[in-house]
Amino acid sequence: MKMKKKAFLILRNNSLFIKMFLIMVISIVAVSLLITFSSIRMSSNLFMDTFSISNTKALEQIETQFEDYSYAIVGATHEVQNNGTIKRVLTQTNASTLETYRSYHDISQQIERIYRTVESYDANMIVLGNNERLYNVNYSNWPVSWEVLRNHPITEYTINRPNTLLYQYLPSTSFTDEPMIVATKALMERSTGEIYGVLYFPIREAQLKQFYEGYTSVENEVLLVDATGKIVSSNKQDMIGEEANDILAMAKEVDEEQLEFKDAHVFDTDYLLMSQYLPTYNMYLVNLVNKDAVLDNLINTKEILLISLGIVLLAVIVVFLISRRMTNSISRLVKQISAMAKHDFNMPVAETGGYEAKKIANAFNSMLSELQEYVNLVVLAQQKQRSAELMALQHQINPHFLYNTLASIKFMIQQGKKEKATDMIHALISLLQNALSNVDQTITVEQEITDLKNYVLINQARYGDGIKVNFFISPDCLDRQLPKLILQPFIENAFFHAFNEKKEGFVQILVSQKGDNLLCEIADNGDGMEIKGDHTKEDIKEKRHLFSGIGIRNVHERIQLLYGEEYGVEITSKKGEGTKVKVELPLQKTDVSTKSKEITRT
Amino acid sequence: MKKFYLMLLLVVGMVVLAACSSGDEEASGGSGSEGSSDVDTITAWAWDPAFNIAALEHAKEAYNGDGEYEVNVIENAQDDIIQKLNTGLSSGTTNGMPNIVLIEDYRAQSFLQAYPDAFHPLTDVINSDDFADYKIATTSFEGEQYGLPFDSGVAALYVRTDYLEEAGYTVEDVTNITWQEYIEIGKDVKETTGKNMLTLDPNDLAQVRMMIQTNGSWYVEEDGSTPNLAGNETLEKAFETYKEMMDADIAKIVSDWSQFVGAFNSGDVASVPTGNWITPSVKQAADQSGNWAVVPMPRLDMEGAVNASNLGGSSWYVLNVDGKEQAADFLLNTFGSNPDLYQTLVKEIGALGTYSPAAEGDAYAVEDEFFGGQQLITDLSTWTDEIPAVNYGLHTYAIEDILVTGMQDYLNGAELTTVLENVQGQAEAQLK
Repeated sequence: MKMKKKAFLILRNNSLFIKMFLIMVISIVAVSLLITFSSIRMSSNLFMDTFSISNTKALEQIETQFEDYSYAIVGATHEVQNNGTIKRVLTQTNASTLETYRSYHDISQQIERIYRTVESYDANMIVLGNNERLYNVNYSNWPVSWEVLRNHPITEYTINRPNTLLYQYLPSTSFTDEPMIVATKALMERSTGEIYGVLYFPIREAQLKQFYEGYTSVENEVLLVDATGKIVSSNKQDMIGEEANDILAMAKEVDEEQLEFKDAHVFDTDYLLMSQYLPTYNMYLVNLVNKDAVLDNLINTKEILLISLGIVLLAVIVVFLISRRMTNSISRLVKQISAMAKHDFNMPVAETGGYEAKKIANAFNSMLSELQEYVNLVVLAQQKQRSAELMALQHQINPHFLYNTLASIKFMIQQGKKEKATDMIHALISLLQNALSNVDQTITVEQEITDLKNYVLINQARYGDGIKVNFFISPDCLDRQLPKLILQPFIENAFFHAFNEKKEGFVQILVSQKGDNLLCEIADNGDGMEIKGDHTKEDIKEKRHLFSGIGIRNVHERIQLLYGEEYGVEITSKKGEGTKVKVELPLQKTDVSTKSKEITRT
Repeated sequence: MKKFYLMLLLVVGMVVLAACSSGDEEASGGSGSEGSSDVDTITAWAWDPAFNIAALEHAKEAYNGDGEYEVNVIENAQDDIIQKLNTGLSSGTTNGMPNIVLIEDYRAQSFLQAYPDAFHPLTDVINSDDFADYKIATTSFEGEQYGLPFDSGVAALYVRTDYLEEAGYTVEDVTNITWQEYIEIGKDVKETTGKNMLTLDPNDLAQVRMMIQTNGSWYVEEDGSTPNLAGNETLEKAFETYKEMMDADIAKIVSDWSQFVGAFNSGDVASVPTGNWITPSVKQAADQSGNWAVVPMPRLDMEGAVNASNLGGSSWYVLNVDGKEQAADFLLNTFGSNPDLYQTLVKEIGALGTYSPAAEGDAYAVEDEFFGGQQLITDLSTWTDEIPAVNYGLHTYAIEDILVTGMQDYLNGAELTTVLENVQGQAEAQLK
């Protein structure tokens, strides 16, 4: 549970980072994947197109080579057919040794002359006569005897088609000879239709291969397929002699439908098949391009993928580091700001991280300090206002009080109580003197008591002696300081409100030292009252102030304003038994008056 | 770390410098100067896997010198070798040239004369006296020995003893005879058995070549280049003898190898006068075992003619390229001085050399049942020593092409002296 909570917390704290990072990673991967695949696809398509075009051109070139060879053969065949010497030698029978000797010489001269047309192709030339005569220009090329050749299937086949120049495939029969492609033509006496010999142009497959070998490579194969579907020549040695009817069918299709190329699946491989029909040979020239091998050579898919993977990884790492750095400072900032309330908006945030975060923190800090300043100003202003108010209240000596007091004095004088009137005037003068001085100033307990005694004297002179006032002052407290007129409102209260039902009673004023505090108690045994709530000044109904503007409500505030929360006024009262007011103040000597000023300012 | 890189740089630099300097050496060696450098591999070119290639492989095994190098044997068709040598040597580049090459004796002089600096002389390497004289003549040039003789082309007369017997002759009757005696015997053989005496190919005058060498004559003068046809008495005699054979009607006319081999394998002819390399072909007809004998070549009926001649044969040459010392060392320690190798060659591939000390070996004394228990190799190598030396010169095949036509004219009734004068004129015009 704790773990889960922790994980959730981490997740929440890093949510900005996670969001940013995920979006970046997904975009990077998506972009690189798309680019990679589309570029592979595009380039392979383009390549296949150009490849097929260039290969078609190559096929045309190869076809030209084959046609050149065929043309040479046709030329040589014509010469042999029209050569009287050759015909004579091949039709000669019962010749003498000398005649034979001459014939052999003559025919060899003729044949060697004619052979030059095909010599450059490394093809052999053999002339076979029905009269057991055989002339083989290059014996080592095909060491064949008359009997073998006369009874050879290709001879039979040729004799059966006397008017056609045929190209026939001769497979390798032993390890010493190689597969050959033999151009054959029956030699026929036109007037009688009698066949007197056969002409052969065997060319080794290896030589024929040179017509196209320059255009081939491992992935680009060329095959020569004859009409029976046999592969008679190929740059791939092991294909020679194979039956490949499927290739033949596709080659026919490509040629008949004039296709550029066709996708073929042969020999367990995917190929592009291009084909060209060689009419003189009755064979198909087939070009197989191994798609995979070619594309592998052209586009190293693996490499491209690896490169994009590398780029993605690199980008992700960079993004990770940068966004981590950026969001980290912001997250830290957010954390600090949310914790701000705990520190009374006093703690400046750390200015770390990236430029933006620093700026924000900086702005926040300056805002905070401004705020602080304004708050201080407001507090100060309020304090000033308060003390101004108090001062004003203090200065407001109630005119009625003066009027009534002066009226009482007048009566006393009229009644001739001269001495009593003089005392009263003295008391009034002293009272006014103290009251009108600075409200902030503290006075000694002794002075305050003097003021109170004067006040009591005036009141007793006016209202009679029904209410007795007793002062019990601890001598060690006499020189302690206290704000002036702090006890007067309670005595006034006792005089004017505590004795509405009872007409007589007493008020006791006690000042003593209690621990580090100065304790002043004003207790009466008057009517008392119902006190609701927390026994503080709020419950005391304030009607009007008879002496100055300062009421008992203000006293509490004033004390707290001056000395702090732990000081103040506490009132306990009971109906019919009286009221007791406790005023707690710090113990202060005379010289502390300036210090008290400082305290109020902070 | 920095030090390490510095050292690496130094090492690489030194290697590069070394490579450069060795490259220079190669270049100077290649230009044919005295500078030489050792090589690890030498290359040898030959053309017949069953014969001279196989001989090289045996030589590699038999090598008993102390050189440390590989011998790389490469097979090329003979025509290709001639073409590549001509192209390479005439352009002066030694790039791709072999160290050792096999050249047919008839063609050797044309190479030695055309490219005098291209071959490395072996005069001081081999002992010329150990080899048959006639071979030394064809393989040397201007007093320097260039070739190391390989196979003997010693010619012999292979005869069917059964046919001779039928006609009333013995092997002795055909031994050391003249061509005239041969023709007479041939007539009798044809008469009694109906078989021709020999085969003749109108387009190949090997017969004539063998005849004239019995008298130490050739198509060209001693200088190797001047045609020696008109007024060449030996050649005249050979032509006359050739015509006599035709007139006597004892020759079967053939036009290629298959007909040539087919003629004696099928028993159509009673004798085969040719080089000793025909032995394996003769033996192909196993049913004729015991019916054959080999006797010395008939000689021309002239003063000084001997019963020994030659047809074909080839020799090893060392090209003047880097590694020529190794190539010479290889040849000396194999074909040049190793009698045992020749025993192996005779036994394994039937190749008869011309190294005289080898004749004393056991393999040479083996009796051949096919030839009636004859010590064929010993006989052949004895005859080898008697072959008259001639300079085959530069134009053997070119002149023969002209002679073939001349022979036609002569057989068809033209005057011999006229024919030879014509031929001489043609040859001079063509070869100058």
